[in-house]
Amino acid sequence: MDARHTFDFLTNPERFMAFSRWAAPLLGALSAVAAVVGLVLTFAAPEDALHGDGVRIMFIHIPAASLCLFIYLCLGVASFLSLVFRQALADLAAQACAPIGAIYTALALITGSLWGRPAWGTWWVWDARLTSVLVLLLFYLGYMALRGALEDEQKAARAAAILALVGLINLPIVKFSVEWWNTLHQGSSTFMAAKGDGLPAIYAWPAVLMGLSYLGAFGALWLVRIRALVWRRKARSLSMKLAEGAR
Amino acid sequence: MSFDFDAGKYAAYLWPAFAISALAFAWMIASSLLMARRWRREAERLQAELEATQP
Repeated sequence: MDARHTFDFLTNPERFMAFSRWAAPLLGALSAVAAVVGLVLTFAAPEDALHGDGVRIMFIHIPAASLCLFIYLCLGVASFLSLVFRQALADLAAQACAPIGAIYTALALITGSLWGRPAWGTWWVWDARLTSVLVLLLFYLGYMALRGALEDEQKAARAAAILALVGLINLPIVKFSVEWWNTLHQGSSTFMAAKGDGLPAIYAWPAVLMGLSYLGAFGALWLVRIRALVWRRKARSLSMKLAEGAR
Repeated sequence: MSFDFDAGKYAAYLWPAFAISALAFAWMIASSLLMARRWRREAERLQAELEATQP
């Protein structure tokens, strides 16, 4: 196989449709298996000495919080490919992942708040981590609002892509906010955790399994939504052909 | 392996967190599948209409 065509399934709509037809259900099934195992481990894990049963919220909060950053990175890369290389499929990919990212971010904020009330004694504080994640949610919502606000789809795609690229600046701010500022939110206990701050294995495994489940769910939902947008574009093109034929 | 579903004083925070997450995923799955089905059917219908109008 010619190496130049290895990634054609990511740029050629027909090949993408053939690839996603089996990849979406496969990712969905793997995600469901990881969710079942993750939930079993979640409710089999012992209570935490300090946070009691509240620790189980961590196993759905950490995946949502990690994935909302990863999804925004996907949105940024797809927007870059759409803006610079005029890849139509990349534009659809960006458009498809924004609502999923917004919901993951909202879940990170809501589950974080439900963790914060018993752990910190407050639902919300304007500290750097919480505020920067709220800003991330506003970037997602702004992206979707901008796409919906402009009637010219090409102009809307271009403006939204620029906004998405600007929002990339927020990703390192979210990630390193707990190190750069004095925050109520704890430092990382997963990726790049300081020595001694990492989760013990009994809590790390449920978090990892639920993380894989959230990742697989994102992959499956993303592919399904891109497929929907490819069909929508095809339907619009057919509709125009029919209208021209009727003249 | 034993399971601990008695969250005690944390129940008011734990179960809403899981319920909201489950609802969010149910909504995302349903809306994505319905969106895909709607536009696939629409594209197929228009394709059939176009083929029928062409000599």
